[in-house]
Amino acid sequence: MALLEILNLSKSFGGLQAINNVSLSVKENTVHGLIGPNGSGKSTFFNLITGVYQPDKGSLIEFNKVDITDKPAHFIAAQGLARTFQLLRLYGELSVLENVMVGYHPHTKYGLLAPLFMGSEVRRQDKLVKAEMIELLEFIGLAEHAEIPAAELSGGQRRLLALGRAIAMRPKMLLLDEPGAGLSPVNVDNLMATIMTLKERYNLTIIVVEHILKVVMSTCETISVLDHGQKISEGNPDFVKNDPAVIEAYLGKEMADDDIRLAMNS
Amino acid sequence: MRLLNKTLVGAFTACVGFGAAAAYADDIRVGITMRMVSENGQAYGQMMMDEIKGINEAGGINGMMIKATLMNDECKSDKGVANANKLVFQEKVHLLIGSSCSSVTLPIVDVTAKAGVPQLVPHSTNSKITQKGSEWIFRIPVSGRYYGGVNAKYVGENIGTKIAYICAADAASVGDCANLEKQMKARFGVEPAYRADVQEKEVDFRAHMQKIKSMNVDGILVAALAETMARALVQSYEAGIGADVRRIGSSSASNAPVPKIAGDAAKGVFFAAAYAAADQRPIAKLFNEMVKSRYGIHAPDHDFSQAYDLVRIMEIALKNANLTGSLADDRTAIRDAIANVKGYQGLASGPISFCADATPQCRDGNRTAVLIGYTKGGEDFETEVIARVTMEEDFGLE
Amino acid sequence: MSFLSKITDFFEYLAKRHRLLPWVFAYVALIPLPFILSALFNEYLIDLVNRICLFILLAVGLNIVKGFCGQVTVGHIGLYAIGAVTSAVLSLEPGGFGGALGFGWPIWLSIPSAVLVTACAGLIIGLPSVRLEGAYLALATLGLGESVRIFIAVTPALGSSTGLMMIPAPSIGSYTFDSFTSYYYLVMTAALVGIYFSFSILQSATGRAFQAIREDTIAASVNGINIIKYKLLAFVLSAIYAGLAGALFAHMPPGYLHHNNFTVIEMVTLLLMVVLGGIGNVWGGVIGAIVVAIAYDQTKDLVFYFMDRPIVIQPLVFGLSMVLLVMYMPRGIGGWIEDFQRNRRFIRKSEERASGSTRNT
Repeated sequence: MALLEILNLSKSFGGLQAINNVSLSVKENTVHGLIGPNGSGKSTFFNLITGVYQPDKGSLIEFNKVDITDKPAHFIAAQGLARTFQLLRLYGELSVLENVMVGYHPHTKYGLLAPLFMGSEVRRQDKLVKAEMIELLEFIGLAEHAEIPAAELSGGQRRLLALGRAIAMRPKMLLLDEPGAGLSPVNVDNLMATIMTLKERYNLTIIVVEHILKVVMSTCETISVLDHGQKISEGNPDFVKNDPAVIEAYLGKEMADDDIRLAMNS
Repeated sequence: MRLLNKTLVGAFTACVGFGAAAAYADDIRVGITMRMVSENGQAYGQMMMDEIKGINEAGGINGMMIKATLMNDECKSDKGVANANKLVFQEKVHLLIGSSCSSVTLPIVDVTAKAGVPQLVPHSTNSKITQKGSEWIFRIPVSGRYYGGVNAKYVGENIGTKIAYICAADAASVGDCANLEKQMKARFGVEPAYRADVQEKEVDFRAHMQKIKSMNVDGILVAALAETMARALVQSYEAGIGADVRRIGSSSASNAPVPKIAGDAAKGVFFAAAYAAADQRPIAKLFNEMVKSRYGIHAPDHDFSQAYDLVRIMEIALKNANLTGSLADDRTAIRDAIANVKGYQGLASGPISFCADATPQCRDGNRTAVLIGYTKGGEDFETEVIARVTMEEDFGLE
Repeated sequence: MSFLSKITDFFEYLAKRHRLLPWVFAYVALIPLPFILSALFNEYLIDLVNRICLFILLAVGLNIVKGFCGQVTVGHIGLYAIGAVTSAVLSLEPGGFGGALGFGWPIWLSIPSAVLVTACAGLIIGLPSVRLEGAYLALATLGLGESVRIFIAVTPALGSSTGLMMIPAPSIGSYTFDSFTSYYYLVMTAALVGIYFSFSILQSATGRAFQAIREDTIAASVNGINIIKYKLLAFVLSAIYAGLAGALFAHMPPGYLHHNNFTVIEMVTLLLMVVLGGIGNVWGGVIGAIVVAIAYDQTKDLVFYFMDRPIVIQPLVFGLSMVLLVMYMPRGIGGWIEDFQRNRRFIRKSEERASGSTRNT
């Protein structure tokens, strides 16, 4: 069953057609890869799904049978769609614990003004949330840094925290925007292992945008390829790997077959 | 952290310090709160301090020195009230002088009334100041309620009753316009022949001036702040309105920029004030020279003369008051001594008299305004006294 | 250090017993203050403390929108004006001495109404924040705040140039809050409750949402925070503080309001309190308000004689010392507090670790 259904998604900025008539369907409990050369529209695609940008007319995005096409970001988040950012966008001055607690925000049980009038109830609930979040931090290995500001974490820890913050939203689907960017190969492997454990543990459906093709090829059931805002290929890793359209988009026409395989597998 | 501790200790010491500043037993303590932001504002306060210093150097008040504290209230009521509270409760002054702006003096009246401290008003003209029923308030300037009547009386009797009004939107001009309109109606039963309400910093009066020209009026009231008034005056001549139509200035006309900017167009403009630099009495000539040599100011306006008269009246009252050393008693004695000042002839346009009742009739000391006309505009402007008008004690009271 | 630590330890001990206990203790400790001040020094200091309490309310309120939520607003003083004028006009007798508008409402009704009106005005001042950020937002709020002042200045019914006068002091039965000491209990209570609520907000999901918006608006929206709703909420909350401070200012004897109490200069002074205190830190804002108010008061009668002529040097001294403070203490006093707290946490952790390891062996 498709959890996310995208039909004829388009977005233009002035004269630039960033996304052009892309349709996509993601099944529940799968890992879907999204690849494409720089500037092919992958990040824009994520921004459209999560409500950071509004799609052009005629587009349709359905998540969990709810139309989220023109809905604001916070509404989409509340439907169970979480994401990470390529540039992380952590709340630098807030502590690690507070960062994940902000992630938990859509599930807060008390109202906006409750802190003014129901102090004890707020504290009781916050205590429960805190305990749950500490557990999550323990799982991703950040519990001992819970009190320090996010800005003081190391690069790898920050990526973990960004992931933790998204998980704290208890999403049904997780969109990962280049989770391994800037990490060493060993760390990337570790991160992907963590992501896979999280997927099992929290029953997640994942879409991952990644430049390191090896990661995508080894973890994704289905891969879609974007180029110049259009979907040029889709299928299982083996199919995509050998699709001439993909090879052309990535590497140009002239390269020899063997060179391409080498590049894709490295 | 040690720094924080040090700061706390320092703050505490400072607290002790500012509590202990009070009480020199043998001084007469006087507190002054005034607007000290403009160039002239500085000079007014400075002149009071200089005059008080002069009294001390000449032997003081029956052997006692006057210790004056000068504070700046920036013409803001909250700061003026804070100053007054500080002077009354911390410096424990015998007498409070303040303030320049009516909006600051109005609330201070309540402070001094409640605390029982005599207050001398140097500059504020708002008529409500003395109508609050305080026994402790004394006003040196001419009250606003008199000015409106003075203008109307002179205009109606000497110029005519067909008057065009140009009223800018600043607070003072709005009030001046309303006062003249009200008094013209009460005295002569006439409405304005023409009335234009313009912006505070209006630049183009030509359309209004053309209309006024076609109406053949006796006079034009130009109520606006100095620069705006100067522009309107110049444009009235450009529109071809002759010099036989008298230009009446609002209270801002006494400000030097009016003749300086308007130049020849300022000639013939007249306004009411409490002091004329063109006054030919020896005391006035001496005063003009003193202000010129000490503060470098040509043709002092009435805010100078009022500050000077205030110090003189204070001196008289302090000398007559029987001071015992008990603060509350001394404050009462000084209040009663000020109330006993009768017919003081100083620089002001008329004699200044007070009496014991807590009424505006008793506490608005000066009932005589002088009408001043510009005889020459430009940098070296000159003025003349056109008339002195004395109003009845209860004029302008509802 | 040890002195401060002991105080902090004591308050933490109280907080463990009951979360309200430290506040109750602080309140009780503040009750005798006016008597101490007038016995040791003089009554004027009570008046100063009263004004400081109003500044604390204003600074703590401004901190919610600027410190917590990161929205630059220069319209806060306009809200203060709305609170003050609304409560004054509602409580003045119709056709009273000042000639202004009056409705003759009881004060205990006019103050809450003024707070309500100010909250609505806060919503309006907050509206530009939906679309604007940074300097543009500052300009928009500046315009709105200043237009409030100008509206008061040109409307005779609201005081215009003469101001609103003889605004009654609050009273219960025959007891009137018209002395420094009695008014102290009103404003001190308001300030303490204000600080308490400010902490309640900061330490809840609402406060975390505000801070998330400050740190990264896009990430916050994707985390499920309704940006518009929370930004406006921050403005409304801070308006409630400003409205209450304004109303209490209006009724504070001698009960006089003038539009020039609410100019941009006053706004800058407020911003200074928040910046000096350390943006986003509640205690910083409180201490900033205290320091600025005392510094202002202490430099007031500094008259410098240059060539025998008195020159009031307060603006110079005040301005210069503030520039230096902001230059050399960019994180403000709140920075000190945060360092202090973090040091304590660090020390405690290492102590715990040390005792834990000894137990293990």
